[in-house]
Amino acid sequence: MTELVLFFIFGALALVGGLTVVAARNPVHSAMGLMLTLFSLAVFYVVQAAHFVAAVQVIVYAGAVMTLFLFVIMLIGVDKAENLSETIRLQRPLVVLVGLTVVVVGVFVAVGGRFAWITGVVGAGPEVNGTAEAIGDDLFTTWLLPFEATSLLLIIASAGALALAFFRPRRREGKEEGAP
Amino acid sequence: MAPDIDYLALAPEITLAVTAVVVLLLDLFLPRRQKYWTAIVAVLGVSFAALPLIALAVSDVGDRAMLGGSFVVDDFALVLKGLFVIAGYLVLLMSVGYVESDRYYQGEYYFLLLMSILGSMVLASSRDLITLFIAVELVSQPMYLLAGWRKGDLRSNEASLKYFLLGVLASALLLYGMSFVYGLTGELTFAGIAAEGAGKAGEPAFIMAILFIIAGFGFKVSAVPFHFWAPDTYEGAPTPVAAYLSVSSKAAGFVALLVVLYSAFPDASGVWGPAVWILAALSMTLANLTALRQTNIVRLLAYSSVAQAGFMLVPFAAAATTDAVGLGEAFAATVTYIVIYAFMNLGAFAVVIAGARKTGTGDIEGWGGLGSYAPALGALAAVFFFSLAGIPPLAGWIAKLVMFGAAMGAGSPWMIALAVIAAINAVIALVYYARVVKTIWMDPVPATAPEEEVRTASVAGSLGLAIGLSAAVVVVAGFFPSLVTFFSDATKVLAGG
Repeated sequence: MTELVLFFIFGALALVGGLTVVAARNPVHSAMGLMLTLFSLAVFYVVQAAHFVAAVQVIVYAGAVMTLFLFVIMLIGVDKAENLSETIRLQRPLVVLVGLTVVVVGVFVAVGGRFAWITGVVGAGPEVNGTAEAIGDDLFTTWLLPFEATSLLLIIASAGALALAFFRPRRREGKEEGAP
Repeated sequence: MAPDIDYLALAPEITLAVTAVVVLLLDLFLPRRQKYWTAIVAVLGVSFAALPLIALAVSDVGDRAMLGGSFVVDDFALVLKGLFVIAGYLVLLMSVGYVESDRYYQGEYYFLLLMSILGSMVLASSRDLITLFIAVELVSQPMYLLAGWRKGDLRSNEASLKYFLLGVLASALLLYGMSFVYGLTGELTFAGIAAEGAGKAGEPAFIMAILFIIAGFGFKVSAVPFHFWAPDTYEGAPTPVAAYLSVSSKAAGFVALLVVLYSAFPDASGVWGPAVWILAALSMTLANLTALRQTNIVRLLAYSSVAQAGFMLVPFAAAATTDAVGLGEAFAATVTYIVIYAFMNLGAFAVVIAGARKTGTGDIEGWGGLGSYAPALGALAAVFFFSLAGIPPLAGWIAKLVMFGAAMGAGSPWMIALAVIAAINAVIALVYYARVVKTIWMDPVPATAPEEEVRTASVAGSLGLAIGLSAAVVVVAGFFPSLVTFFSDATKVLAGG
């Protein structure tokens, strides 16, 4: 019961947030709307007993990623009077068409009970323990190697990005070039 | 609970990871004129990584599995790791002079290259979807960066961006397919997927998952129609990086494809066989026809490597229609082709680096008369290009022979049709390979050629060593094919043949 009540409250909030992202005139408001959606999703995760995922959702998405978005918006100083004219012809009818297709397929799956290969697995899976302890246990035993390799990926990204973005001052290069 | 780790089995990977980090730190503290030490450390590190491989090969423990069967060191993994180490070693040798000659960030260059080699080593041992995916990313991500290493050059920027965007798209496709597989089987290890997925080969979602995975790896091996990035990226990237992309990165894609298709989806070969048939036929035909019209030597090699990927895919298609023994044969045929291709293509790229230095151009026209002022280089160019074309007694001939053997061995009409397509393409390929050799030996020296001392300047020692080693393998393996087939036969363990 609690689950259902929470679902309706935060589901509605997530939708409001999503609509704000699209509809808001001010990009900062759009970012705030996105943050609301991300927070609501975090609540869903808590309800599903996936505490670790919920924490990550708040820290990484609602925290770090959103701060980055706001930084970019404010640094670049997106003009409030953005040019919103649409360059792709038939954009709106196409959007309506695609949207309707998604809705129809969704209803078909939910009501018709077809596509058992999509819905059939739900509930059949093993009991999942979503606590941070359980995840840490898995991460540092079974998935130790991919975990360590991922840390290497992060070094690659930072070292590579630095090397690509960093230019030494021209004057010093010229001086060095003369040396054998 | 502590994870079960067999440190000897992980020793090659640990050696490479430590070397890479040492190179990065050295780069921080070395004064600019002594940066070449990073290259020396990198070459030494890769050489040392080969030692535990030999120890593992001669140990009589047999297959070593750890981390719940996610990481397995068997004969297949050892052979491919050996190939990746040697190919990485050759690319490092090619890079030394090249990276020094332009103002590159040497430390980071070697760090990224070592990381990519490390990724391919992990890949050869990975036996579950997560380890495999991380390994594939570990191979590709340094390459996205290295493709753009010639920062001042717009074509290099384009190369990097194109490869990055299409590579990320491929990774997304791959992950999407993998998520389907996990959703349907509830398993991540290949053995588990094979057991759970046995009866599911006909399900639409399962077929979709396999097709997504093939498409994802199709980008990595640059098979038509997923090859669009290859020519532009090869041309814009530093040439040693292009060599690495066309050999190690491509081989890594094939290893992933081999492992996933043969060990995770053995019962669904009726699904992936035809898909691979189409990829093979398209890759060979389209790439060869496009290669005919290329005027830039690196672009020519790019299309040639796409076409060669098509040849390597032929045995895959054959595997779908045969029994367990045929499956093993097809598997070994692909591995044989990859091993031989690695050496002849690395050699061809090394010759291109040396030739471009001498002629000052990447246009085939400008290479006229190279044989008259650099006869040794011209002769070696002929060796590698004719080997790529599959002329006996060079090693490329064995590769083609084994490939045709696998295709004809299957015996079905579809496979015979594919063998015919491959035969026609081998002839088309001969035209453009031979054209390069003809330009080098028979055409006059163009008026635009650089002056005498540039043309006759000696090739850098490390580059010469890379060319020499590749040429030795290509020639010797051509006369003694058992040297290569011994290793590829050992890899059959994975296909159960």
